[in-house]
Amino acid sequence: MPLSSAALALTGLVKQFGATRALNGASLSVAPGEILGLVGHNGAGKSTLIKIAAGAYTPDQGTISLDGAVVSFASPADAYAAGIRVIHQDAPLVPAFDSIDNCWLGRAYPRRMGMIDRRTMRRSIAVVAEEIAPGLPIDRPVAALSPAEKQFVRLLRAVADAGRVLILDEPTAALPAEDADRFFEALRRIRARGTAIVFVSHRLDEVASISDRVVVIRDGANVAELAGADIGVGRLIAEMGGDNGAAAAGSAMTAGAPVVLDIVGLTTPMLKSPASFSVRAGEIVALYGLLGSGRSSLLNAIWGEEKPTAGEMRLEDTPFHPRNAGEAVAAGISYVPADRHRTGLFAEFDLVFNKTLPLLSSYRRFAGLPLPDRKAERADFLAAAERVAMAFHGPGQSAGTLSGGNQQKLIFSRWANRHSRVMLLDEPTEGVDVMAKSAIKQIIRAIAADGNAVLVSTSDREEALELGDRVLVFRDGAIVADWGRHEVTPAGLSAAAQAKRAPAA
Amino acid sequence: MRHHLGRFGTLIAFVLLCAVFTAAAPSAFASQANFFNLLQQLATLSIVATAATLVMTISEFDLSVGYAASLAAVICFAMFGAGYDAWLAVPVALFACILGGVANGVLVAVYGVPSFVATLALGTVLSGVAFGLSHGGTLFQNVPPGFTSLGRGNFLGLPVLAFWIVAVLGIASFVLSQTEFGRRLRAIGGNALAARLAGLPVVRDVIATFAIAGGLSGLAGLLLSARLGSVQPTMGEPLLLPAYAAVFIGTTASSTGSPSVAGTLLGVAITGVLANGMTIIGVDPFVQKIVTGAIIIVAVLVRRLGRRQ
Repeated sequence: MPLSSAALALTGLVKQFGATRALNGASLSVAPGEILGLVGHNGAGKSTLIKIAAGAYTPDQGTISLDGAVVSFASPADAYAAGIRVIHQDAPLVPAFDSIDNCWLGRAYPRRMGMIDRRTMRRSIAVVAEEIAPGLPIDRPVAALSPAEKQFVRLLRAVADAGRVLILDEPTAALPAEDADRFFEALRRIRARGTAIVFVSHRLDEVASISDRVVVIRDGANVAELAGADIGVGRLIAEMGGDNGAAAAGSAMTAGAPVVLDIVGLTTPMLKSPASFSVRAGEIVALYGLLGSGRSSLLNAIWGEEKPTAGEMRLEDTPFHPRNAGEAVAAGISYVPADRHRTGLFAEFDLVFNKTLPLLSSYRRFAGLPLPDRKAERADFLAAAERVAMAFHGPGQSAGTLSGGNQQKLIFSRWANRHSRVMLLDEPTEGVDVMAKSAIKQIIRAIAADGNAVLVSTSDREEALELGDRVLVFRDGAIVADWGRHEVTPAGLSAAAQAKRAPAA
Repeated sequence: MRHHLGRFGTLIAFVLLCAVFTAAAPSAFASQANFFNLLQQLATLSIVATAATLVMTISEFDLSVGYAASLAAVICFAMFGAGYDAWLAVPVALFACILGGVANGVLVAVYGVPSFVATLALGTVLSGVAFGLSHGGTLFQNVPPGFTSLGRGNFLGLPVLAFWIVAVLGIASFVLSQTEFGRRLRAIGGNALAARLAGLPVVRDVIATFAIAGGLSGLAGLLLSARLGSVQPTMGEPLLLPAYAAVFIGTTASSTGSPSVAGTLLGVAITGVLANGMTIIGVDPFVQKIVTGAIIIVAVLVRRLGRRQ
């Protein structure tokens, strides 16, 4: 496509972070009235690309052009002023405001005799709403709207405020099937208005059905551009490729080891089909699937955070139904949660505090008295830090000042000096750099080699392939495959995880 | 550097304050009589401020502390009036305040009511009970001398109340800094979700914290009533704002900006010395208020600017 007709064109982008080259010549262009799909594995460079388009990063090399004219964005505000709207799946809305107020938030209100002119505001939103999302109750507080309706409000806000290029980042990840269909109808109507749309998603069937064209990136560069009839899920998986790294170090045979955790017919609100599997001592079982496929919900049930709706869990042949995380800890389960800043770290407290907290009662100065022995804690921290190869200045340093990888190692170190019957890891290498990633994978293998049963929940295919002695694939709240190390292939994993959402009932 | 300025600045400010008042009124301010007087006046406030410190450690607020103090005193004196002994009246009064604290804790930890709202509402209820029991008036009859001696007179050459300050603040400081419970409270205040996911009994600990805060407020109310020898149903209310002012000033003296008992004690001392000194050198009461408010703002601002580094 000639660049001059593109609403937005990114050409030859290069972006380096430390030792990592996130983008290595990637390009993308989207025309008015076109839906462009953008796919690639985690780490392929999609989010860096989006951030450059949004003005959050400046590229080291390469150009950004709008309607054929080269521009540069010094800040997200510049990109916004140019009409670029990035919609994240959970971009915040003001819950108590209705759609009209949410759409006008941050814009100059129309005035009438000095007063805010609600009528003009409402009319301007109602016109657009009628066009792209008929039936959306724009006068109702968004707190009362469904997830799909909230997603419409985000679209509405982007379109109503002169958005010319919409970049949608995993917009359907949290939507059930029938709502996703309505969402795509809205997208097609927006396309019909002449808006350029970039659709970024892991759900390849949706990318294939909605996109006019698809750009596939891998390792920071374009590997394919498909259009029309060429777009298909199988073809996309093949192009995303990346079979490298699948050859993982072989692990000890665990077939003869005793079963530690046995899950029988377990269901939770997110895990709708009964899940049954067992984990042996020393075995790493990877739970692979897209966001919202039910794998995190399973971990939460084992950790006592979520109540199963049916089924049974057995820990070393004893029924095990923890009511809270404390009971899970006491039963010998250990957990490294996803999103460590929100759920794991005590950023302003020191490293020793962060390390010893979950098992604090094992550091008593006098048996029976709940008085922690600081010296013992410190010594134990130093030993654990060495085991996980954590880099830090001193034990008194606050946890928030560590790098992402070292923060994650800090959370791992909590459980480093006890035998865990089961170790639960949720997205263990999320948001850490390449070096730390491989270090953390080594730690995980060492934990398993010590005879702990390990469950790794991940949306990173390479990680599932590298770590899992077995891989369970989750899709739409069900386990759809259970493969041993020798049966699993990259393409097979991707195909199994891709949601074929049931058609709207 | 500015970090340390913030941290030790609070202590330096206190020393300067004392120096200024000593220079301005050497005989009246820097006298033993005035020092004892200050200790007695500040005992009640320091205990209520300690209750506030505990609750702020878990990043919540308890606005019922003043009302609980009033209620404890009223229950106790109403029971004296009805002929009951202090051995019964004091435990009943404290128990009522602890129960109020448990109710606060349940509302916050189990039902997720914002602590601001829960404790203000519950405090209003407690206040209503105090008014009902006292019929809105002053109670002063049948007070056993053994009870008033809890808050009056000297022991080993120091006011009795000074020992209460040492005991209560000492225990609270020990619990917060040296015990597993204290560690858990700081974790909950730092990141409640992470604390729960690390397996900590967050609900139980939050309820316990509010219960302790209720009990301490009740104790403060009893000591105040013992010192004064009479109670009114509104006597504890003026403690609320100075207590939180003291905690806020105290946070400026900690490296992490989190509340601590030692910091709170410093906060109580600063606000107390300020009020006492200004009264002695004859500053208008309205000017005193302006100065006190301004000093709190400056203390917190210094802290903020220091932390931004």
